[in-house]
Amino acid sequence: MDMFRFNNINLDRYTETYDLSFYLTYLSSWPDLYIVAESADSSLMGYLMGKVEGKEELWHGHVTALTVAPECRRLGLGRGLMDVLEVASEKTYDCYFVDLFVRPSNLVAIQMYENLGYTLYRQVIDYYVTDGVMPTEYANDMRKALARDVDRKSIVPVKHPVKVEDTFFD
Amino acid sequence: MESHQLKPIYEAIGQGDMRRGLTECDNLLRKHSTHQGALALKAYVLAKLGDAEEATALGQQVLHTPGALKSSHVLQGLWLTFRVLRLPELEIAVYNTALAHTPNSEQLYCKIFMAAARFNLYKEQHAAAVALNKLFKQDKYLWWVVTSLLMQARSSQDSAVKQLQLTLAERMAEKALGEGRLTNTEELRIYLEVLEIQGNHTAMIAALSTSGPLAEKIANDPDLVTQRIGLLIRTGDYTKACAAAVAALESRDNWADYKLYVEATVAQASGGESPVQAATANFDKWAAQRGRDRGAKLAGVELAIKLHEAGRAKPAGEVADVVGERIWSYVDQFMTKAICYSDIMQYFVTHVKSATALGQTSSAVDFHSKQLEQRLHNARAAATAAKCSEDAAQSWVSLERIRYLIQALADDVDPQRWVAGIGTMLSFGLDSTEAERKLAACSDMTLIACQRLILGAFLAYPEPEQRGLLLSSLFKVVCVLEAGIRMNDDQFLLKLYAIRLYLYLSCYDRARALYDTLNIKNIQLDTLGFLINGHGMSLGCFSTDLELCYDGVSFYDRADARVPQELESAYGNGTYSNITDFTTFRDNLVHSVQRECTHRCALRGETFEYGTSKDVVDQWKEADAVSIEHTDETIAALHDNRDVAVMGLLTPVDMAKWNLEIMTRQMPLPGPAWIKIFSMVPQIMHYIVCSEAELLEARARDLLAVTEEAGQSVSSHDLLLARGVYQVATLYLRARSGDEGFDNELSALAEMIIGALPPDTSALNSLDLHDVALSSIRTASVATELFTLALSVKHALSAQRSSSANAVALGLSQIRKTALKLVGGMRAWTEKPARESIDALWLNAEEPLLASAMTLLLNRRKSAVTLATKSCVGSWLKSVNNMAAHWKKCT
Repeated sequence: MDMFRFNNINLDRYTETYDLSFYLTYLSSWPDLYIVAESADSSLMGYLMGKVEGKEELWHGHVTALTVAPECRRLGLGRGLMDVLEVASEKTYDCYFVDLFVRPSNLVAIQMYENLGYTLYRQVIDYYVTDGVMPTEYANDMRKALARDVDRKSIVPVKHPVKVEDTFFD
Repeated sequence: MESHQLKPIYEAIGQGDMRRGLTECDNLLRKHSTHQGALALKAYVLAKLGDAEEATALGQQVLHTPGALKSSHVLQGLWLTFRVLRLPELEIAVYNTALAHTPNSEQLYCKIFMAAARFNLYKEQHAAAVALNKLFKQDKYLWWVVTSLLMQARSSQDSAVKQLQLTLAERMAEKALGEGRLTNTEELRIYLEVLEIQGNHTAMIAALSTSGPLAEKIANDPDLVTQRIGLLIRTGDYTKACAAAVAALESRDNWADYKLYVEATVAQASGGESPVQAATANFDKWAAQRGRDRGAKLAGVELAIKLHEAGRAKPAGEVADVVGERIWSYVDQFMTKAICYSDIMQYFVTHVKSATALGQTSSAVDFHSKQLEQRLHNARAAATAAKCSEDAAQSWVSLERIRYLIQALADDVDPQRWVAGIGTMLSFGLDSTEAERKLAACSDMTLIACQRLILGAFLAYPEPEQRGLLLSSLFKVVCVLEAGIRMNDDQFLLKLYAIRLYLYLSCYDRARALYDTLNIKNIQLDTLGFLINGHGMSLGCFSTDLELCYDGVSFYDRADARVPQELESAYGNGTYSNITDFTTFRDNLVHSVQRECTHRCALRGETFEYGTSKDVVDQWKEADAVSIEHTDETIAALHDNRDVAVMGLLTPVDMAKWNLEIMTRQMPLPGPAWIKIFSMVPQIMHYIVCSEAELLEARARDLLAVTEEAGQSVSSHDLLLARGVYQVATLYLRARSGDEGFDNELSALAEMIIGALPPDTSALNSLDLHDVALSSIRTASVATELFTLALSVKHALSAQRSSSANAVALGLSQIRKTALKLVGGMRAWTEKPARESIDALWLNAEEPLLASAMTLLLNRRKSAVTLATKSCVGSWLKSVNNMAAHWKKCT
């Protein structure tokens, strides 16, 4: 992905611009789960960064970042990017589920994930820490079971909010 | 025993306490002066503490001590030392020396490979890979060899050597493919790259058409599928290319494949109409599928325009209409989507430009204007009706964008036509129920209105004597932007334009506050830092600008450390396709124009930070002013990563006349001349404090030459500063040699500095608002910077016991006294009459262009006007106060 020209996407307030090594680590570790959509004029429309992690029944695909440029919304692009990740998680990596974290205040994104079949699995206390612009917030940990999770055990909701350290898989 | 002795040192290092680590090393070395483990760890601790020279010397001493590297403690201490010091050759020497004690160590060869890979030492990297492949015969090492050969070939200047490396790489990869040792797409990509450089497209197609398990992986990789279609076109096999594209597009909607399908179809079209008919039928079929209409429909436009360009559309006389109708058919279907305009803009441009080539610009423009007229009317009516839908609002926005483009393509220079309809647009954007609902289309409409107003203002008031009207107009646009930001804080483009215009009006503080809300960080400091970085130096806000410079410097330092590590990870993970990308990415960052600008600005900021202290002589002495020297070669190697397209332009970037990013620059973007000038300034100061007269004289001459050649590529204020620095150098040279003429140089410098400050307002009673907004703060900032640099001359002469030191000190003291009075007058004006001047000369100016916008604002969004006014005054006051405080410190 060309980080020199993703500003039309990353200037959006809900899109975090991470340290370089974060992007490069994802690229060097899971290049097939780093999916970029380009427009007809070659500008970037959106991207998804994903990974696979966990052990045994917790082996899953994770959406680290999904973002679409403001002018490219309402085109089904987010759905398309998620679809690529879900297919790879199921077919290539044989995962049990896909999960993601989202700010509870990002209602548009939550609505989209719900439409895609994701449900709230648990809340994570103060997962998002303020950077001076965005506030400190809980995270909604949302999940979608894949075919391998026949009994859909992975998406049974946890009733009480958990700490950030409880969300680490490895 | 050794571990036990070293334990306290490891503990200190583990806790990050390097000072204590050094003490522990010294404690052990007092008892055992030749303890190699302690010496190696001491080198490491010194490296971490920043004492590179001593760390290197000590590290080399241990490295050359026979037998020292038998110890794992020494080995670890030394490689860590040289890695921290970024001395890969020495790090590799450590491993090679250790290999003498543990021959055939896989771990040591791997470390050599990675150390070399991190720093582009391809020869060493290749040698290590070959050794690993020979000794351990793993597929991974085979691909390390192939990749090393590829990287060597890419960097080689010798064509014969390059070809030899590529041939070797090709043979190894080909053999691996034949033996089933090429098992994944990452390895395949490396093989394809080797073939691509050699132009061997046939072999690339063969590799991409392989059977077996790899075939399925290729089929599931959209980029490889696209690459194969492109290769079929390049080899002239258009029929197969079309078939491959159709197969790909049957399963997924990929714009790159559509483009290639069109290209292959047009290439085939000379043989008859059937390929075009087939493609059209396919596009129609796919367009009917859910979620695929946009790509397929756009491909139809692409096909029409490519056939038109190739002269293969029929009948010839109706070509323009066919293309034009395709374009408008697309608009009709997708104007409810925000992406519509960026999808279709290029086709409008190509269509009108191709008509221009035939001398038919006006007919193409007329056609589009006519098509637009009724649609725009209807869209506007629908959007401004009660209960406007999101689609209706977006349609109007899309058509307004097209109107803007058509006017630019028609070369319409009538400002009145550019601001036509602004009132309705702003009512919708700022004062409608949709705006209250924070509909994105409303913010977009406000933005388009602002873009039109800016363009209209620059077209209406191009002459220097009209600057008052221009500034008044731009201030009013700022008011509109502030109102837009208040309505919807999420619209970052409104903020970008506000930042630009505030800086145009010399208002750093508010521009910076808006910039801070954009949360720009990390890589964005390289691509977007130019929006604000350096402006503080020109507007008296040195410290705040310096903070931002340090953020940038810190980012570049982190990148220097981390990108090589990620290269190592890519090799380790076998994701070879990243190697070239990461290497190019690193090179673009290392040679970034913005990186140079950030570092130069940081030095400028430090001039203010330390320039008033007597320690400044030591600061300039220690400054590594020599390594920042630029030659034409180093300048040519720079890479411009600045994202000048970020401003949501409604015309293509290359239509410079209509490019608002260029138009709203108060000063040129720093380029080669700027970088050269601001690399020479610290060098000159370094030579002054080091009393290097000959070097100083030569560099000062260079500075003058660059300044004279810079033309309009550097702002007049920066050129003024550069000429002033030349004067500072001349003053020092004369004063140092006891030349009686130094008095004249001092007077000349005084004249420059005082001349750059605003006139004595006690006589005039008021400053000119337009002067303040355009130049007074900037020239006062130059005067402040120049005086700060001149202080270093005083301190240097004093330290060098020059007989002229006192006279120079006295002269500078008189300059300061006058300057304090003048800056004081400036502050008094900014504190009170400034606001009244804005009301009188900007808000109430007889300026018709923005009349409707201002009526709306004053009636409905007055708070935005108040905010913009306060922001201008507050920003100027902050700049002036900063300068006043600095002059006070300059004793």
